[in-house]
Amino acid sequence: KVYDAIIVGSGAGGGMAAYVLTKAGAKCLILEAGGWYDTAKESKMFEWDYQAPHRGAVKPNTTFGYFDAAVGGWQIPGEPYINAPGTDWTWFRSRMLGGRTNHWGRISLRFGPYDFKPYSRDGKGFDWPISYDDLAPYYDKTEELIGVFGANNHIENAPDGKFLPPPKPRCYELLIQKACGKLHIPCIPSRLSILTQPHHGRPACHYCSQCGRSCATSSNFSSPTVLIPPAMETGNLDVICNAMVREVLTGPDGLATGVSYIDKKTRKEVQARGKIVVLAASNCETSRLLLNSRSTQHPDGLANSSGVVGRYLMDTVGADGTVGFFPVLMDLPPHNGDGVGGMQLYMPWWNYDRQFKNQLPFARGYHIEFGGGRGMPGAGIFGNSQRYLGGGYGLELKRGCRKLYGAFVGFSSRGEMIPNNESYCEIDKNVLDEWGIPVLKFHFKWTEDEILQARHARETFREIIETAGGEVVRTYGAEENWGISRGGEIIHEVGTARMGSNRSTSALNPYCQAWDCKNLFITDAAPFVSNADKNPTLTIMALAWRTSEHIVDEVRKRNI
Amino acid sequence: MSENEKAKREGAIKRRDMLKAFSVVPAALIPLGTALAAEQKTSGSAAAAKAASAYQRKVFNDHEWETIKVLSDLIIPADERSSSASQAGVPAFIDDWLDFKGGKLKAEILGGLTWLDLECNREFGHDFISSTSAQQKKMLDRIAYPDKAVPEDSNYVVFFNHLRGLVVGGFFSSEEGVKDLPYLGNKVVPVWKGCPPNVLAQIEDNLKAKHVRLSLAGDEEST
Repeated sequence: KVYDAIIVGSGAGGGMAAYVLTKAGAKCLILEAGGWYDTAKESKMFEWDYQAPHRGAVKPNTTFGYFDAAVGGWQIPGEPYINAPGTDWTWFRSRMLGGRTNHWGRISLRFGPYDFKPYSRDGKGFDWPISYDDLAPYYDKTEELIGVFGANNHIENAPDGKFLPPPKPRCYELLIQKACGKLHIPCIPSRLSILTQPHHGRPACHYCSQCGRSCATSSNFSSPTVLIPPAMETGNLDVICNAMVREVLTGPDGLATGVSYIDKKTRKEVQARGKIVVLAASNCETSRLLLNSRSTQHPDGLANSSGVVGRYLMDTVGADGTVGFFPVLMDLPPHNGDGVGGMQLYMPWWNYDRQFKNQLPFARGYHIEFGGGRGMPGAGIFGNSQRYLGGGYGLELKRGCRKLYGAFVGFSSRGEMIPNNESYCEIDKNVLDEWGIPVLKFHFKWTEDEILQARHARETFREIIETAGGEVVRTYGAEENWGISRGGEIIHEVGTARMGSNRSTSALNPYCQAWDCKNLFITDAAPFVSNADKNPTLTIMALAWRTSEHIVDEVRKRNI
Repeated sequence: MSENEKAKREGAIKRRDMLKAFSVVPAALIPLGTALAAEQKTSGSAAAAKAASAYQRKVFNDHEWETIKVLSDLIIPADERSSSASQAGVPAFIDDWLDFKGGKLKAEILGGLTWLDLECNREFGHDFISSTSAQQKKMLDRIAYPDKAVPEDSNYVVFFNHLRGLVVGGFFSSEEGVKDLPYLGNKVVPVWKGCPPNVLAQIEDNLKAKHVRLSLAGDEEST
């Protein structure tokens, strides 16, 4: 059987490609390296910590704990990766239908106009070959399809969108919002793909705050609940799970003819044939596939005549774990503070003007995420109570703890990393995974721009906490490099097969089509040219939609 | 009626209304019925209670087990609002947690129990659990207040900080502790209303009382 399109991966990018292509009538095959995932059946919604092994705690270096929906994790047995000397990269991979859309924070932020032309603004990094206006219609369509709440606040470089109404803020969120107002930091409704009203047959959120456990009612976005089912309903989609793709096959004309994959159950190679190949395996896996697809026509790997495949690896700059203690939030009347799964307010970057005037020592910005209050108590609650209560034991301690409940709020930044020459992945020449596929070796470095950004974030957190009447009880200073995240830790890795307008410096054209192989497309985050302080998933989907429409157009015009 | 009971009753009423509503709502909303079913399935405590009573120790020996029970209840005793730590299954939680985490924490807790016995034997002539309440209290007072303890006791103070953390965390994340706080979530909320006005008013009062120049009510800053 020859498919119209073979799609490698079933997450945000693969799911969206399948959605658009099958609706246009194309016969598609999705190959997924993990197993099938039934969101409703697997959901651990409403389970209590005390019903879970070790209260649902996290085993180091595995996953995010018992409740997290992700299958996969920071290490996958039999699928190693290598860090070059001096590199501390960490790589979270999902092996399941829908990939990391089962786990993600649902934060759905558009890149803004500045984010597509960063080089033109400050001379660092690179411009995209497309502009915000090229992608805006696809942001509109994606938001409308998946359902994103938010508000149109007309914020510089945080574009308005097609939003469902935002949920009303929690108590501590109102307190922090007031403090931000005093500091002239915008604090606005966050933009999450969680339904605040029924949407395309999916019921509204029931506010249990447990999106990460997989939602049994499909009230938040994941690929297996929102993208895969309508694609299946067209009758045009086959999905094969446990299929670990090892290379893209090409013919004597250099065009893609299909892919070779290892069936994980039998450990045998299988070849699937397709007129078009769409890669959406997650950016690093996609680049690994390209680099492992060497042939006479493509001696340095597929789509790599420019040599940029693997280059310009980026993650988000994270400064996590600054915690404020707020005596004004102590001993409040009991109430349910759960809300949606995640922050209901956030702070978009607010210093474009100062950076434009060279008043900040670093380029590019970050947004602030914060959370706390009266969440479900876990095993670590009040673990450091002596810090606030002076120690003790007995009834006095018991009463003291009750008063402390809900009085803590944590702050994190999510900021832009500028691509650099020392951050890339390549094929390791010595190591194979258990499927016989050469593995990736990572090189990664933060530069001064990222580190100074993390410092600015820590200083801002302190200002906000103190303005709101709180006290910083944990943060990171210069000696800890401002607690900047490890590369890969924020799980926003993008780039490594960037798009561009010049085939000698990019792997893909402005439609995410390989310059060297016109029937090969990429719909994950590998085409990203920069990594704005906007979580990448919404942009992955908008780009995937645009790319898939382009595929349909090109096929209709008989160009491919 | 306690706040806790009031809240529970409110929750029950909401749930009943929701279930009633489902008999007349369109099919599109039925998945929320699934959510309610899931919620009710996990709300039963019989299974949890059974699991606790059937707990097989992995770390503590008989003597350490008795000691940890006594210590747990000294740290979190019963009161009018909730049970003691041992009644809430905290000793089993700690045993399992030490087995899960292992390493320095496990060594420190076991070592700390050994030291408590050693010190009680030297001072009172018998183990910690055989000591009188006054003797136990004397021993704990020595290590339970970090700012008042003598520098020579620093290791034992850190041990007790960690033990206190385990007991307090184990208790307040247990079924009993969750109801005590109370944590009122983990349930279907038909209409999310954000921060309740009475809580907002309390925060406003607290801001004034602590002289924090911030007001939640309007855009004006309080003076």
